[in-house]
Amino acid sequence: MKRRRSDSGHSLRAPGIWLASPYLLFFAAFVAYPLVFSLVLVFHRWNIVTPMQWVGLKNFSRMVQDPLFHASLMNTLVFLVIHIPLQIVVALGFAILLNIPLRGRGFFRALYFLPVVVSGVAVTIVWQQLYSYDYGILNLVLRAVHVGPVPWLVDSGMAMPSIAIMATWKNVGIYIVLFLVGLQNIPRELYEAASIDGASPTHQFRFITLPLLNPTMIVIVVLSTIGGFSLFVEPYVLTGGGPMQSTLSGVLYIYNQAFYFGHMGYAAALGFVYAIVILLVVLLQRKVLGKEDTA
Amino acid sequence: MNVFRTDNETMVRVMCRQALRLIAALAGITVSICLLLPGCGSRSESKSEAAGTVELTYWPAPNVQETEFADSVVAEWNALHPSIHVRMQPIPVSQSTEEVLLAAIAGKTTPDICSNIWPGALRDYTDAGGLVALDAFPDFDSVVTARTPRGLLDSFRSTDGHVYQLPWKTNPVMMYYNDDLLKAAGINRPPRTYGEYLADAARVTRDIDGDGTIDVWMGERDIRPIWWQRLFDFYPFLIAASDGGTLFKNGQIDFDTSAARAVFSFFQACYAGSYYPKTFFQGGDPFLLGKKATHFSGPWNVAAIAKFAPSMHYGVAPLPVPDGYSGPAYTYGDYKNIAIFSNSRHPREAWEFAKFLVTAEHDRMLLEIANQIPLRGDLLQNPGFAGYFAQNPVMVKFAEQAIRTRGMDPVPDLKEIFDTLSQVFERCCVYGKESPQAAVREASLRAQLIVDWNR
Repeated sequence: MKRRRSDSGHSLRAPGIWLASPYLLFFAAFVAYPLVFSLVLVFHRWNIVTPMQWVGLKNFSRMVQDPLFHASLMNTLVFLVIHIPLQIVVALGFAILLNIPLRGRGFFRALYFLPVVVSGVAVTIVWQQLYSYDYGILNLVLRAVHVGPVPWLVDSGMAMPSIAIMATWKNVGIYIVLFLVGLQNIPRELYEAASIDGASPTHQFRFITLPLLNPTMIVIVVLSTIGGFSLFVEPYVLTGGGPMQSTLSGVLYIYNQAFYFGHMGYAAALGFVYAIVILLVVLLQRKVLGKEDTA
Repeated sequence: MNVFRTDNETMVRVMCRQALRLIAALAGITVSICLLLPGCGSRSESKSEAAGTVELTYWPAPNVQETEFADSVVAEWNALHPSIHVRMQPIPVSQSTEEVLLAAIAGKTTPDICSNIWPGALRDYTDAGGLVALDAFPDFDSVVTARTPRGLLDSFRSTDGHVYQLPWKTNPVMMYYNDDLLKAAGINRPPRTYGEYLADAARVTRDIDGDGTIDVWMGERDIRPIWWQRLFDFYPFLIAASDGGTLFKNGQIDFDTSAARAVFSFFQACYAGSYYPKTFFQGGDPFLLGKKATHFSGPWNVAAIAKFAPSMHYGVAPLPVPDGYSGPAYTYGDYKNIAIFSNSRHPREAWEFAKFLVTAEHDRMLLEIANQIPLRGDLLQNPGFAGYFAQNPVMVKFAEQAIRTRGMDPVPDLKEIFDTLSQVFERCCVYGKESPQAAVREASLRAQLIVDWNR
């Protein structure tokens, strides 16, 4: 029997390839092919039904002049700036509370995780009712205490923070779980030693909990960033990108270009640019947070 | 060691064989499903076609009334034409019919004939070579001109000179008004001009129970910048204010006009005066719930009122026009037409069925079942329709308006231009952040940019 050997000395037999073939087929059909195809698309104009037309770099030159592309990029960054710190503070706060050995802790853990598994569209429609300017429950409550009404979704300065609050509520359960894992991995002995040395709970939190949670924090920041860049359902259902394009996210804009207007080439070019932006932001975050970690 | 190695190799081989069998089985199942599913793979001859019967697939709009209408017509056709069997299937539900039809053209899975063709999307279909030119049929002229006025027919002619759509029905966008709410504010007739509308709005819009929340609004529009929402406010109002003008003139963008500025000013005043809410209504149509006095919609709303607000006293009137405007008010027709797809193997038989759909008898059936206005010139003169209009006097208003309607310009990029208009409308009218002059100018420039980009 003939055998080929890899550099590491492991045999690469035909049966191994066959076993891997389902995944390879899946990868080729749903990852590699779309990626290569979209790379081809960025240099073309195509609306699915008519033949592709070569346009060279026109899709990129359009991007430079397109005010909505610039707005969507800026809106997404605004969302991230609000959403990530809010998510971390809220998730860490609840994780610390849920880490305290209390009765019913399991119930509350499940409760906070519940929004994660509920349909995004259903959640968004409920929040639309809450945020309604004239008839929303939040403004009815605020009116009862002689405050407001607050233009949650109908003011260009308020709409994106309102969406960030909603997105935090929806996703915080995942990050609570991650922080809980991080908290439970911190050795108890460190707290005991610090306590003997006279460190207050605040000092213990600052000098033990936070530094040791830094790897978890990096994971959460990276996941939140990638999740934040894919913001779509909330503005699509809640505001349609308004008011005055203040909630037009990058993905929503790509969706509109591709599926409303049939500009597949331009949408593909936007997608590639967004992917590069995400990569740069994540690399930057890792560099900054990684430095803090080593310091 | 060798023993283990041999055992492992045997096990791997067994697993591989099982995996291969599994993959082969899955592939077999997939191919079988594909062959069984209609529309997957190439069109194959059905049993009835093999027996010498032509089989046509017909897609009507997926709403209940039109499906009921289509069911009745198809049953009648099949009884009368045993050699041409029509299979009715409502358009698969999606975000829009246009998306479904484009996908079907791309996948070559179109029906033979469809009766929900929006003229605004026609250019997409014809550019893809998806439609049959109906004026190639020898009896096209005689059939169509007998039913539809020549001037209106010409508005459906494509830029290549051919007609790809059989004009079928129109839903003129008009102003519904809640008579009870107007009378409660001491108003005895619906407003006809912007000035009258705003004066009435100041009296109608109020907080009845004093809880700080407005209970009755003069009107309401979805404030989200969604392109097709402008088909029910800006666009019909523009047509009304410009004596039937549309967005384009001789193929060039032409809406930086006094009429467009007047429309923007009007809606800006509606929001600035708080006569329209800056909110989203959930949980019901505010007009049906008696929360707003006027509503801009088509005749399909008559059935909704009869079903959900049977006790409401209401009327229908032409859209308000700028103060000092003279002449009849035109409006947007929201036409839906019939087209035959190039993918059809029996276009001649499909044309016969299309003609059957637009006979006077079936036009009356369309009125009776779906409350929609057939696009025919003799609607109010033909005695065949007199009984229906006697029983449904509110529909007379729509029938009268039908001859003063406009559709969409036969140009590409319409959705994108309407999207731009929506964004500018929102900024200027809803939020008052831009003057109507600047807004209309900006929309016009951005629309030109879109046209230039897309060429």
